[in-house]
Amino acid sequence: MEISYVGENLISGQLGNLFIILSFVCSGLAAFAYFKSIHSPELESASWKKMARTFFYIHVGSIVGMVSILFYLLFNHHFEYYYVWRHSSTDLAMRYIFSCFWEGQEGSFMLWSLWHGVLGIILLNTSKKWEAGTMTVLSVVQLLLGSMLLGVYIFDIQIGSNPFILLREHPDMLNLPFVQNPEYLNFVEGTGLNPLLQNYWMTIHPPIVFLGFALTLIPFTFAITSLYIKDYTSWLKPALPWTFFGIAVLGLGVLMGGAWAYEALSFGGFWAWDPVENSSLVPWLILVGAGHLMLINKVKPNSMFSTYLFSVLSFLLVMYSSYLTKSGILGETSVHSFADGLPGQLIFILLFLVIGAFTLLAIRFKKLPKQQKEEELWSREFWMFLGALVLLISCFQITFSTSIPVINAIFGTEMAPPTNANEHYNSWQLPLATLVAIFIGIGHYLKYKKTDSKKFFKDTAVSAILSLVITIAVATSLQFQHYYHGLLMFAATYAVVANADYWFRILKGSIKKSGAAIAHIGFGFLLIGALISAGNKEIISRNNSEIEIKMNENENANKENIMLIKGDTVLMGNHFISYEGREKEGHNIYYKVNYYQIDDNGKYERQFQLRPFVQLNEQMGNVPEPATKHFWSRDIFTHVTYADLDDPALDDPNAYEEADTSLVKIGDTLFATNSIIVVKEVIKDIDLAANNLQPDDIAVGLRLEAMNVKGQTFDASPTLVIRQNRLFSIPSEVDPLGLKFNFKKINPETGEFTILKQEKTSNASDFIIMQAIVFPYINILWIGCIIMTLGSIIAVINRVRFPKLRS
Amino acid sequence: MKKIHIIGIIIVAVAIGVIMSTLADAATYAQFSVVDNHPGKEFQVVGKLAKNSEITYDPKVNVDLFTFNMVDNEGIEKKVYFHGAKPQDFERSEQVVVTGKMEEGQFHADKILMKCPSKYNNGNTEGFTEIEANT
Repeated sequence: MEISYVGENLISGQLGNLFIILSFVCSGLAAFAYFKSIHSPELESASWKKMARTFFYIHVGSIVGMVSILFYLLFNHHFEYYYVWRHSSTDLAMRYIFSCFWEGQEGSFMLWSLWHGVLGIILLNTSKKWEAGTMTVLSVVQLLLGSMLLGVYIFDIQIGSNPFILLREHPDMLNLPFVQNPEYLNFVEGTGLNPLLQNYWMTIHPPIVFLGFALTLIPFTFAITSLYIKDYTSWLKPALPWTFFGIAVLGLGVLMGGAWAYEALSFGGFWAWDPVENSSLVPWLILVGAGHLMLINKVKPNSMFSTYLFSVLSFLLVMYSSYLTKSGILGETSVHSFADGLPGQLIFILLFLVIGAFTLLAIRFKKLPKQQKEEELWSREFWMFLGALVLLISCFQITFSTSIPVINAIFGTEMAPPTNANEHYNSWQLPLATLVAIFIGIGHYLKYKKTDSKKFFKDTAVSAILSLVITIAVATSLQFQHYYHGLLMFAATYAVVANADYWFRILKGSIKKSGAAIAHIGFGFLLIGALISAGNKEIISRNNSEIEIKMNENENANKENIMLIKGDTVLMGNHFISYEGREKEGHNIYYKVNYYQIDDNGKYERQFQLRPFVQLNEQMGNVPEPATKHFWSRDIFTHVTYADLDDPALDDPNAYEEADTSLVKIGDTLFATNSIIVVKEVIKDIDLAANNLQPDDIAVGLRLEAMNVKGQTFDASPTLVIRQNRLFSIPSEVDPLGLKFNFKKINPETGEFTILKQEKTSNASDFIIMQAIVFPYINILWIGCIIMTLGSIIAVINRVRFPKLRS
Repeated sequence: MKKIHIIGIIIVAVAIGVIMSTLADAATYAQFSVVDNHPGKEFQVVGKLAKNSEITYDPKVNVDLFTFNMVDNEGIEKKVYFHGAKPQDFERSEQVVVTGKMEEGQFHADKILMKCPSKYNNGNTEGFTEIEANT
């Protein structure tokens, strides 16, 4: 029997599916028509091209259509759609709806296709004689990506995964009872967005990374086209601005990912050599190599094979990275990989592109322009070529180590990724980065073809000496731990100084030609910032207490966490810190950690408060997020590693424990978890009216003084009242210490008083285990990133505006 | 010999170095039965938190010691000493990967990767959380 469901918006999904099919078919037709136009005589070619453009515009229009529909469904919480249900929820703040869009695989493919479409429209209008070829390749890639959204079955093989599938029709849901309920929409609620992605970086980072990924496709299309039509050099000029724009955008995107990891994740740093990070860094490095090879081969086509290799490899590595992260092959090795992929289809797409590109390159290999004469040792092209090879080695190392799960899958081995990833990757990447930085420093002083070596040494000597002085000063004042940190420091400083010198002295500070110099200065700063902030990071929560529990003789128990009980003040690094307490706001529990310095009078002076928090999330698990205090010269990063989330005091912070009864005299002392209480005096002259007592009551108070660990004192005065023949007491609370006192009885013979002391439950149970790390000069890293992006963009703009300009 | 040949040789040598270093640094997935026989060698063990496992973490005694029992994929149960704070939500984990080695008959781990189930079993491995002991 057909069930007629109530409240479903089916028309949007049908329209969305129409757009998916239209966009898929039109990308195929556009590819075909463009391909025909390459091979047709002039007149016919023009009409094929016109047709192809129409198909391509319809294709892009359809992508815009499906993207809009998915946004519409997300914004209006249409949980009848699986994607909406799976990636969002009603209580999610509107600004995170964008993150929901690209959290899932289908959404991220749509975003990626959309960027390809936008770039395709620009390419189609600007590339003139290259249009037919480049757009054929681009359309084929769009066809392949479009197939990832189809969600159809051919002989039981699933092709693509459809973003507009209904919740009740999703294979996981078919047998669930709600499917039989026509009014299921009344109670269905979305599962929500991964709490880690509920961060402002996650609204801007993915679109930028995907634009960067999309931009790697353009040099690929040019390279493939030129190989196909056997025109081996003239593609370099139109491809160059695209390549450097890609370098700017992807570089920015990769570092934004680092910024997000630093702000929102708790591993303590901006880079962890995680497979997902690696697989966006590698295409960027190759793209940088491709751009520089294009520059030297535009002048003299001496290393065209390498230029082709880099130009196609960057995009192929993007495809490989999307296979790694979306197919689920990373499995246990990555903190953030997606397992719900379609590995078969992704492998097919990847192999199709790799085999296609390399076959074409192999066929044409013999016909590529040959090196006329060996490169001079003292030429710019020789060292730029070497630099590109260093980047290639760097990428090979990162890719090989990241691909361990793939190697396991192919060869059936049982390798696990290196336990200490940082050590493993850094042992290669640090020396390679040092080499690259040196090349960046000398590059501009080398001339194309041949350089006068005397002039070269004279030009670069001052920068080298200055860099050496700076390096020695920095290395001694920050106490570098390893000599190779000093080497990298020198190389990176040299990259900055030499390029600044080149910009001001040789280019006379002109902006027009400055792009490369500025970008290189930025890269140098980036390396310096990364080196100092990571190499000299200091874990200030390291436990220095005398009590050391050794697990066994060989190994010390690690001690990098610190325990803070509410109200305690402890010395950590050069700060005194105290844990003030916790606060529940919505889904988050904030832990308020105060940082103090002692002023001249020996008083604690609060400098700032950090509020690391734990987000409670039933579906995804509870997620801790760090809090960081930024200073210009360092960051203090604070992160709760453990807190008891099941503590009953969390729900009722004002609950008291059972009372303690004590017999005391004046001058006696009582102890609480967070304070010492002294019985000061008996108060006899109690103002009855002010305490709402009756005129013939007899009231006696007891003044108590509680002193906390910081030496602050608080008064309490519980009162005993005698009314006619009955005794009762008025309790007194010390709120800041979570204490409550009751005065119960006086024993006139012994002069003793009976006092009940109660502590708040949270006094004993409220503690956190915390880690704090100081990152010195991390701002240099971010500034370097911004400068590098600006420099690259200046270079692109000037290349587009002044095409004749020589670099 | 041309410069390009020298460069070529260097590149091949470095590439071999890269491969060797990765193979050398790579850890090995293993079961407790293998781990037992190779004290002092580092392994990664995939398994589950043992049912009714005693999970102890007493930060007042030692902030950086956390112990639990784990069952590997062959069903062998072993007590794991993790040198770090207890990961948030550990009891909920449906799969754990520990990295560590046998020392004096005890398995000491310095890294835990745990996968928490999402209620709706969406298979999205973003539920993975990596917890590293402090080195």
